Amino acid sequence: MRLHLVELILFSTYAELRAERARSYLGLLWWIVEPAMNMSVYYLVFAVIFRIGGPDYIPFLLIGLTLWQWFKSCISHGGYSIWQQLPLIRQVKLPLQVFPSVQILADTVKFLCILAILLVVLWSTGYPPTAAYVALLPVLLVELIFVAACTYVVAAVVPLVPDLRFIIEQVLQVVMFLSGIVFSLDGLPPALRRWFELNPIVELVDAGRGILMRGEWPDWFALGRVALISLALYAFGSLLITRLTPRYVKLPT
Amino acid sequence: MSDPIIRLENVGVAFNAQLRVGSPRFWALEDVSLSLAPGDRLGVVGRNGSGKSTLLRTIAGIITPDRGRLTRAPVSCQLLSLALGFVPHLSGRDNAVLSGLMLGLRRREIMQRLPAILEFSELGDFFDQPISSYSTGMTMRLGFSVAMQVEPDVLLIDEVLSVGDTEFQQKSGDALRERIHGGTTVVFVSHGDAQIRQVCDRALWIEHGRSMMQGPVDAVLAAYHAAASPASAPLAGP
Repeated sequence: MRLHLVELILFSTYAELRAERARSYLGLLWWIVEPAMNMSVYYLVFAVIFRIGGPDYIPFLLIGLTLWQWFKSCISHGGYSIWQQLPLIRQVKLPLQVFPSVQILADTVKFLCILAILLVVLWSTGYPPTAAYVALLPVLLVELIFVAACTYVVAAVVPLVPDLRFIIEQVLQVVMFLSGIVFSLDGLPPALRRWFELNPIVELVDAGRGILMRGEWPDWFALGRVALISLALYAFGSLLITRLTPRYVKLPT
Repeated sequence: MSDPIIRLENVGVAFNAQLRVGSPRFWALEDVSLSLAPGDRLGVVGRNGSGKSTLLRTIAGIITPDRGRLTRAPVSCQLLSLALGFVPHLSGRDNAVLSGLMLGLRRREIMQRLPAILEFSELGDFFDQPISSYSTGMTMRLGFSVAMQVEPDVLLIDEVLSVGDTEFQQKSGDALRERIHGGTTVVFVSHGDAQIRQVCDRALWIEHGRSMMQGPVDAVLAAYHAAASPASAPLAGP
């Protein structure tokens, strides 16, 4: 990639975060407050009202939601980015991968802030850091590639079928429940659970929970498989954007 | 005459009329041919909806033709657009950097040119204020000052020759004319005969997406006006 595009993506990310801060009274505080409120709601509903889970349910839920929110916010911000920038795209020639990439980076910065707080919460509630923390880096890197891949694909398709906006949120909701974010998939029969594990999010969240709660090293084979799938999907998404670019500029205003 | 840097042969561009399955396509450009040599200053005339803006964006490489042939030497094209990618909550300075990056400048190049942008735009202390606090004229001044920092091989201008209040209009017009007459290849779309005569050394008339005539400015303008108002054609002078 040309260096000037890297500069454009980085500066746009800075601009995006900066503008977001200026758009509300509490500014940056919302990065923390919004996910905290979101997590509290799930905690209230599933732990307090429905009394799910055992003693480990709180870290189980917090880790799951933190990793899930990263995925979800990238899709719901980055997925619309090309569609929202159509007026700009009609004015200037740019590789359109820039727009979803900016949103992914901005959401990743926010995710890292929440992750830092999550770690502090875990340490102070009896889940201290272990040597397995080293594995956090590859796990997060693979999740980043997977997140970027899905965001690219959604971003490529939404301009042509803007109606998808109405169903993406619902689909995300279903995927969240199927990914074992709030309910453990351990209760499923093993034959069925194997099918659920084809979902990369299940592998990634499992690996994250293993590292942070039990100091376990991830299943490297499974992680490698997810990495390969993610890279292939990323290449496909990027190619899709490039191939569809001539059609975006011809869409009705 | 040197080899053309951009050549269009029977180029057509189709758009989707509506966002519906099976929506008909309409041809914004039907059949346009032109060639641009380095240093050419081509004026494009035609009525509203004749495809002038689509033609500019095709030359810029933003739109790919659906038929015909477009050949382009490795040259940079800039469609002169003001306030490109501006974000309301950011300062004028940050917006200048952002816009410059989108126009293809390196960050360090923009940083070097910030003082010139600040001076030309006459924004003073407002330069570090969010542009949401700017008047339309101030935003235009900033947009123009940033756009002028790019030095493309081919400059594509859609109507805008000057912006702002009377004083800044003079200044921005002068800067642009200086650029145009400094050897840059220019394609200029305009409704103003006087401006086309002033800026261009050749003209192209397009009608309903077809190139009707290409040649010396006066001859093309005369033919265009004759066709636009046939009744007065016999009386129209050159």
